[in-house]
Amino acid sequence: MGDAGDGLVMECRDLHKAFGDIVAVDGVGFTISDGETYGLLGPNGAGKTTSISMICGLLEADAGEVFVDGERMTTRSVEPKRAVGYVPQDIAIYPDLTARENLTFFGRLYGMGGDGLKSRVSEVLELIGLAERADDKADDFSGGMKRRLNIGIGLLHKPHLLVLDEPTVGVDPQSRNAILESVERLSIEGMGVLYTTHYMEEAERLCDRVGIIDSGKIVAEGTRRELVDLIGSQDRVRVVASGDLKSAAEAVDGLPSVVEVGEREGGLDLIVGGAASNLTEILQKTTGAGAVVTSVDVDEPDLESVFLHLTGRARRD
Amino acid sequence: MKKVFVIGWNSLTRLVRERSNVFFVFILPMLLVLVLGAAFGGTNDPRVGIVSVDAGELGDDLVGRIEAAQGVDVRAWDSREDVILAVERGQLEVGLIIPEGFDETLRAGEEVTIEFVAQPEQDARALRNTIESAVTEQGALLRAAAFAEEQVDAGFSDALDSATQLAEESERVTIEQDSVGEPFVFDQMGQFELGAYSQLLLFVFLTSLTGSTALIQSRQLGVSRRMVSTPTRIGQILAGEGLGRFLVAMVQGIFIMAGTAIAFGVDWGDWPGAIAILVVFAFGAAGVAMLMGATFSNDQQAGGVGVLVGIGLAALGGAMLPLSIMKIFSPTLWQVAHVSPHAWGIEAFEELILYDGTILDIWLELAVLGTFAIIVFALATWRLRIAITR
Ligand SMILES: Nc1ncnc2c1ncn2[C@@H]1O[C@H](COP(=O)(O)OP(=O)(O)OP(=O)(O)O)[C@@H](O)[C@H]1O
Ligand SMILES: [Mg+2]
Repeated sequence: MGDAGDGLVMECRDLHKAFGDIVAVDGVGFTISDGETYGLLGPNGAGKTTSISMICGLLEADAGEVFVDGERMTTRSVEPKRAVGYVPQDIAIYPDLTARENLTFFGRLYGMGGDGLKSRVSEVLELIGLAERADDKADDFSGGMKRRLNIGIGLLHKPHLLVLDEPTVGVDPQSRNAILESVERLSIEGMGVLYTTHYMEEAERLCDRVGIIDSGKIVAEGTRRELVDLIGSQDRVRVVASGDLKSAAEAVDGLPSVVEVGEREGGLDLIVGGAASNLTEILQKTTGAGAVVTSVDVDEPDLESVFLHLTGRARRD
Repeated sequence: MKKVFVIGWNSLTRLVRERSNVFFVFILPMLLVLVLGAAFGGTNDPRVGIVSVDAGELGDDLVGRIEAAQGVDVRAWDSREDVILAVERGQLEVGLIIPEGFDETLRAGEEVTIEFVAQPEQDARALRNTIESAVTEQGALLRAAAFAEEQVDAGFSDALDSATQLAEESERVTIEQDSVGEPFVFDQMGQFELGAYSQLLLFVFLTSLTGSTALIQSRQLGVSRRMVSTPTRIGQILAGEGLGRFLVAMVQGIFIMAGTAIAFGVDWGDWPGAIAILVVFAFGAAGVAMLMGATFSNDQQAGGVGVLVGIGLAALGGAMLPLSIMKIFSPTLWQVAHVSPHAWGIEAFEELILYDGTILDIWLELAVLGTFAIIVFALATWRLRIAITR
């Protein structure tokens, strides 16, 4: 239960949401403990943003409940929203206000004010690396800087639960690393984090637990180790190739050792039972179908292979 | 409550921050008041509408004499009814009707009556004197002509007798004064007043409507949703957005009022009354802006519709063609005009500026505008709540 004192910062149960005929979320439920970073991993349209919207009290659920710090969260809630810092997927800042003004405005809405707000704004500006551009209009910022400001707003009031919806989309590797580092630091400080992403390596690096969501349902959940164990002694094979990839994928799919096939730009992603003994066969089929193979990578299973295995799709980004 | 102000204030600062807004919101209306005042604002001379149809040469002569007099603004009118209506509506200070066949009747040596129409209790003595002296002047000329005709071959003593007799004869033209319209104290409208209150209403409404784009942008930018994620009640967010629109309208309105009063000497009449009109009008304009902001999802579309609706309602409501003229040409249109909040605002301002009314005299206009505002605000809040939490 969502009682205070059980160490849960968030609990949601059996969430449902449909938009007309489209069922966006179909029975999602999970918990996040204090200081835990939980990753919600899923393809486009899986229902990540919709789930998050219900968790943050932005969207009324058709069914199901959300508790934050033990209190029921709805769109009309006020108290539980104090505990949440929401960072939307699409940058939500005023382009005609400066970074400092954006932070100050939302800080006031979080109920902060006076010198406390002032110094906290400076602190956050420092944290997101925008101290030197604090008084420039957000409109003049680069995409990455806007993203960082977008995140900063969610951190202002030191929430118990920070909700980040794909915060690193369109950010250069350097900024991305900075963002990941600050999330790690916050998590160490005891903040619960709900993180959605397309990037497996982010989920692997940041998340204590991961829920894999597909078509509105959580299809698997656990630590990285637990999830990887799900697919047993399988390897992931990346074939870098050109030519007729579609036929190649179909040809390879017929092999008994091949568990999953995903076609992506510039090659194929495969999950293979015992890659070492079956690689020759796979390459023969691929070239036979009219593809030109330039290189092959065989990896130990990771979250991406779990993802591919469970959803039957390579991640697209 | 504090958060309502935080959101409202944010809207206002964002508006003022935008340079092009400063021009459209503050400078352009002042320029228009200036241009309109210079182009159409008459002198302060009292306006005399004269009907002189088929009054002949002597009729034209009399009109010419009145025109030549100092301190009157003579306008030609076609019919007795129209002139009387115009006096009733306060568009003319005085109407003068020179009857048909004025010339022939006088030449035949008979008496003629000229109708002089003014509103009751209006101090039209000065005007009447001007007109009487024109009539007297013409009378003197007529007597001289009659004398000359009779005395072409007479000796001096006969001529003197005859001249004395003519001089004693009473004037053949009498002026009959009528009163029309409601008794009132007429306050001459200055050069810039008409432009000032019609532009005030036009711009306050227009700025609000086009300002609805700010609300749509907030929704598109996701900042409205983000506000919902903070511990702020949706009611507070809606009230804040509404307050923002209202503050923008008020700041603009007060700027135009104070600006025209200082720069062009515009007399707004009773200040509490004038402010009250602005407040209820701005409230309604903000409500319409909220409604548009909640209904449209494309800010450019809303901007375009805002300009059309803003200018359309202003035109219909008499901000371009004065209502008093509209009433004369088409009473039906005049009635339809009252669908527009501008018509009520204009009539309220006219009550204050032209008729020296106070806030108590415009209670009906204030009540109508207030009711309009409450209805659109209620509708807008309902729509916006749905739009934000969808
Ligand atoms: N407001 C809405 N109206 C109609 N359909 C919606 C709405 N929001 C989401 N959907 C649909 O619900 C489904 C889930 O969308 P959601 O945004 O939750 O996915 P997501 O996992 O966040 O995807 P992405 O990775 O692309 O952000 C999609 O099919 C989407 O089209
Ligand atoms: Mg999403």
